[in-house]
Amino acid sequence: MAPNVLYHCPCLSTSSAPPPPHLASSSYNFHPLHALFFCEECDAVRCNRCVSVEVSGYYCPNCLFEVPSASVRAEKNRCARNCFMCPNCRNTLSVVPSDPPDAGDGRLSAPISTVGEPPFFLYCNHCRWDSSEVGITFEKPTGLAAQLQKLEDAAPDSLEFDRLKEHFEPIIRASSLSSSSSVAPSTSHSQHHSNPITAAASAALARDIPGVAKYTPHARSGRPSGKDRSANKDEMPEYKSRLDISHASNYGSGGGDVDVDFMRRLEDVSEVASLQQRWNYSWSTSIETRDLKPLRIPLHSKRSKRCPACTHILIKPEPKAQSVRYKIKLVAANYLPAINVALPHQIEMLGHISAEAAKRSTKAPVDGDKDARSGLQAGKTYPFHMSLTNPLYDPIQVRLSVQRMHVAAATSSGEGGTTEKARRPPFAISIPTTPFSVAPFAEAWEYEDDEEMFGLDDDELEARLSGREKETKSKSKTVGVLEKRANVTVVGGEVALGKEARGEVKFNMLVAYTYRSDDPAPSEGHDASPSKKAVPETKTFAFYTVVDLGNIISKEEPRIDPYDV
Amino acid sequence: MSTVPQTPRAKTVFNPSTPTTSRITNSQVQSSPHYSTTRRHSLYGVEDRIIIDPGSLIWKVGFSGEGRPREVFYAGGKPAKGLWGLKRATDAAERLEEDKLLDIRLEQNLRAVFHDSLLTDPKARKVIIIENPLLPIHIKEALARILFGNLQVPSVSFASSHLLSLLAVGRITGLVLDCGNLESVVLPIFAARPLFTQLRTTPQAGQRFISHLRSLLLLFGTYVAPTSPGIANLPQASRSMRVPQEILTNEVLEEIKTRCCFVGDSLAPSASEPADNGPTPDDSVVSSDIDVPPASDPAQSESEFSFAGRESGMSSQHDSSEYSVISTPRMEGRPQDRPPGNENRLQVLADMYMRHSTATDLRLRVEPPASMANNSTLGYGTIIIPGWIRERTAEVLFEGGDVDEGSLAEIILDALLKVPVDLRKTLASSILIIGGTSMLPGFIPRLYVELLRAISPPQPPFRQPIRPDKSPPPQYDRYATLRPLIPYLTILNNPSPPAPLSDRAKNNGGKAPAFSPATMSWVGGSLAGALKTGGTEVSREKWDEADPEIEDENTWMSETPARNNRQAQQQSRALQIPPARNVLPDWTRLPLPVGAPSVAINSASVGGVSQTHLPTTQARVGA
Repeated sequence: MAPNVLYHCPCLSTSSAPPPPHLASSSYNFHPLHALFFCEECDAVRCNRCVSVEVSGYYCPNCLFEVPSASVRAEKNRCARNCFMCPNCRNTLSVVPSDPPDAGDGRLSAPISTVGEPPFFLYCNHCRWDSSEVGITFEKPTGLAAQLQKLEDAAPDSLEFDRLKEHFEPIIRASSLSSSSSVAPSTSHSQHHSNPITAAASAALARDIPGVAKYTPHARSGRPSGKDRSANKDEMPEYKSRLDISHASNYGSGGGDVDVDFMRRLEDVSEVASLQQRWNYSWSTSIETRDLKPLRIPLHSKRSKRCPACTHILIKPEPKAQSVRYKIKLVAANYLPAINVALPHQIEMLGHISAEAAKRSTKAPVDGDKDARSGLQAGKTYPFHMSLTNPLYDPIQVRLSVQRMHVAAATSSGEGGTTEKARRPPFAISIPTTPFSVAPFAEAWEYEDDEEMFGLDDDELEARLSGREKETKSKSKTVGVLEKRANVTVVGGEVALGKEARGEVKFNMLVAYTYRSDDPAPSEGHDASPSKKAVPETKTFAFYTVVDLGNIISKEEPRIDPYDV
Repeated sequence: MSTVPQTPRAKTVFNPSTPTTSRITNSQVQSSPHYSTTRRHSLYGVEDRIIIDPGSLIWKVGFSGEGRPREVFYAGGKPAKGLWGLKRATDAAERLEEDKLLDIRLEQNLRAVFHDSLLTDPKARKVIIIENPLLPIHIKEALARILFGNLQVPSVSFASSHLLSLLAVGRITGLVLDCGNLESVVLPIFAARPLFTQLRTTPQAGQRFISHLRSLLLLFGTYVAPTSPGIANLPQASRSMRVPQEILTNEVLEEIKTRCCFVGDSLAPSASEPADNGPTPDDSVVSSDIDVPPASDPAQSESEFSFAGRESGMSSQHDSSEYSVISTPRMEGRPQDRPPGNENRLQVLADMYMRHSTATDLRLRVEPPASMANNSTLGYGTIIIPGWIRERTAEVLFEGGDVDEGSLAEIILDALLKVPVDLRKTLASSILIIGGTSMLPGFIPRLYVELLRAISPPQPPFRQPIRPDKSPPPQYDRYATLRPLIPYLTILNNPSPPAPLSDRAKNNGGKAPAFSPATMSWVGGSLAGALKTGGTEVSREKWDEADPEIEDENTWMSETPARNNRQAQQQSRALQIPPARNVLPDWTRLPLPVGAPSVAINSASVGGVSQTHLPTTQARVGA
């Protein structure tokens, strides 16, 4: 895995310092920069786990139709037009007409009309499933979901559900009337918070507690002897199912004998629908794949997000489904310097490998090989580069510091492999501790001195960096500011791995940067700006990151070379 | 009559009694043809509650008033790993980490429920959480904390899954068995009151099934490696091998369980028959157990009637590792270092199962494990699953282990033993089976057979011929008092009900609506939400009042003391100091009934009713 830097959002932890990076739960505290927001009011980073989300529009991801929020609920959050998914492969289904009537000349006749011949059915271009297999055909090729909705409303589960509702409604109503009067004894006002069904039942109980008041010989004799006197103790009228399970199971569903027989003779697993394909059905349905129905495509929503503390909007998309722009966009990438980390020896190696791969015509992937050569080996020392990119229009002063690791805390980890983690910290990090500056962001044409930077994408940049690195390495300077250009400053660090080192090289790094603030800061006294009072026009913001340099390849574990086989 | 279930007139036959019931009947007669008009869902309104059924493995979510959940998903993501297990770490730091992870995952799931599945604003929706009665309180707290804190929902209710399932079949009284992922829980419910004190539980559930399936497949399954292009196509035989550990991920096992497995008929009649003629697996197992003094193994004597007696050694050995399977992969490398005796027992078991199975072998394509997939293999590997594994893995659920791990039938009967005598008949005739594991085809009919087998008089002990000098002690007949109930034993949602032995059984057996057992509690929750009821509601105001942490929620970013305070609280929570607030309903905090419970049950039904029901209502109120 390529080395990366993730940014800390303090929403999960109770302190501003991040948890030690090797704990399994810690990874959720860190996010890639592009997934973070920045609240200007609170002067704080916000992540997707803590922002409050509001839906600002619904649309179908397939047809991009914007669904008015009024109809979303009724349409069950599904596209109500012609968008369906294949029940087998989740591919989008297309509506196809039936074969045109055979003209008799053996040639494919050109489509007669644009819509084609009815009946229409849904067809999967991937797995060739078609809806006529389950008896779903349409008279016209539009408004299919509406046509299917009728079927859905008449589904046995919703009918049965309504019947149940009617069964319980009068009882609930009756009990809510009586519960206030009859159930009062020891329980005070908080009775109102109790389960109304419980209340209902207790109301019934107050009238006729089985075995208490009316459980007398008189009552016993009053009943017909043939009938079970205890038949209906809870005073509930018997509910008669619309379709009960013993009948439903006759048609091969509900886990009855028919299903058992089917399973016993099963020859091919694919004849049984997977759990995911049928777990949505609350009704006992057939377990066979061939009975699966097409799925309506779930809607997506456009969301605006608010800061959880001050409820200011952090991001707000344009409501149009086709638009990918935002009306408000306070993303952290515009506020925090972007940090990229690279291992120069890895990049070199990648260059080698790609060159080799270009020369060789073998199609065999070289992943394992690449890992082995470019990984971090225990007992060695590696330089690494961090390039900081300033998104602000002002120059910033950056100070980096590595968070101290607590070995004691390292002994515990929720997942397995505690022993290897107990042996931390197996590595030592050295990075420049003196502040350095990163030039302000400017439009590309304003960087006069560095013309050849134009049109280079990141990979090439990094390749260039590694090229320069070679020069600097010859001067044996690995720790410190290596390069400054445009709004990027590259600093070098070094990681020394212990002999016994295993696991991942991951460390927390505090990044504090000072910038000139034009406006008087509205948010006073937040922890992010301690130096503000001293120098009013500059502000300091500090944030934590976790730097992951990759896995250590321990020496005792020999890599299997695929070419040895 | 029963073939026309819609006929409303049939209702009046059953309910001729009180005026109230006849009124209900009338209303049903009037409205039943107009289902469409009664669907008065509000389009804009937010009265519909969010129903969340958070299982340890699978979550079901949706809106109330709908007949099926909107979305069902694995709580732990793709690897089909449960969110929590039956065990918590004992070490404080470890537990803190575990709780943190749980918190994070719960938050992830809950946020996804609102933002991705239901696309709704959490601030406007009341939530009903369907809880298993044994859902640990710290999980409940975590759910509430996230719902109130992170998502800011206006109110959260907790409703018992067992009770809700009864609602889904139109009842408020019954004996509900929830056979879920981690454990199976039997809870008698009378008149909508869960009799929590009579709850019985066993870990014989989905997780146990999975680990049993794993060990059977490791021993008796076959893995055919994918072909490799380099060497000329090897015949299948030479590519076959034992199933490698790493192939049997939870995901694959889950797939095998849900797509291939079913529950065959009981072994009992045919198993006893070969016991007469010559050496049988049963005998061999017993003889291999001779060196084990029978007194030291209570499970053996206690569950003699189940098959567990014959292989209890195996299953108890099993259990010790199975707990760990849930949380830590201690199972690794087990077949190798498994003691040979155990393997023998499994072999014996396999022989027996094989003789009693006619199911076909199945091939399942699986991705070859990463360690074995080098560049030279193509495509998928294949697991050949013997038919008897498909059919007989579920036997583990019907076999009791030690005293704490009764079989499913045993815990049902145990619960029946505990309920007040006058309720037994009612409850025995309305047993409801819910939960994902009971979705296995044939599960419910088999459970009924097992119930009958468990309740029948115990067979004379196997060990009798070994010590002919001693006269056998009188057999411990645990369920003797329940035996009159046999004609009444009825499973409401039995898809293939047996010939009824009583009127009651005829009226109840298989008469539940054909909702699938796994979603029944969700449907009940949806129903409760639609009826504007549901469990005890905790409003956000109440939560905030009771929780000092939330007060400084808005400012904790800046205030260090508050933060420290929070931290301290969190630590105290981690150390299992009960948190200061207890707004959440929790039946375990209810005051114990006065006097010994057994006395209350035995003395008079009056005592039984008053002492078991009233505290329940109090618990709902207080806590």
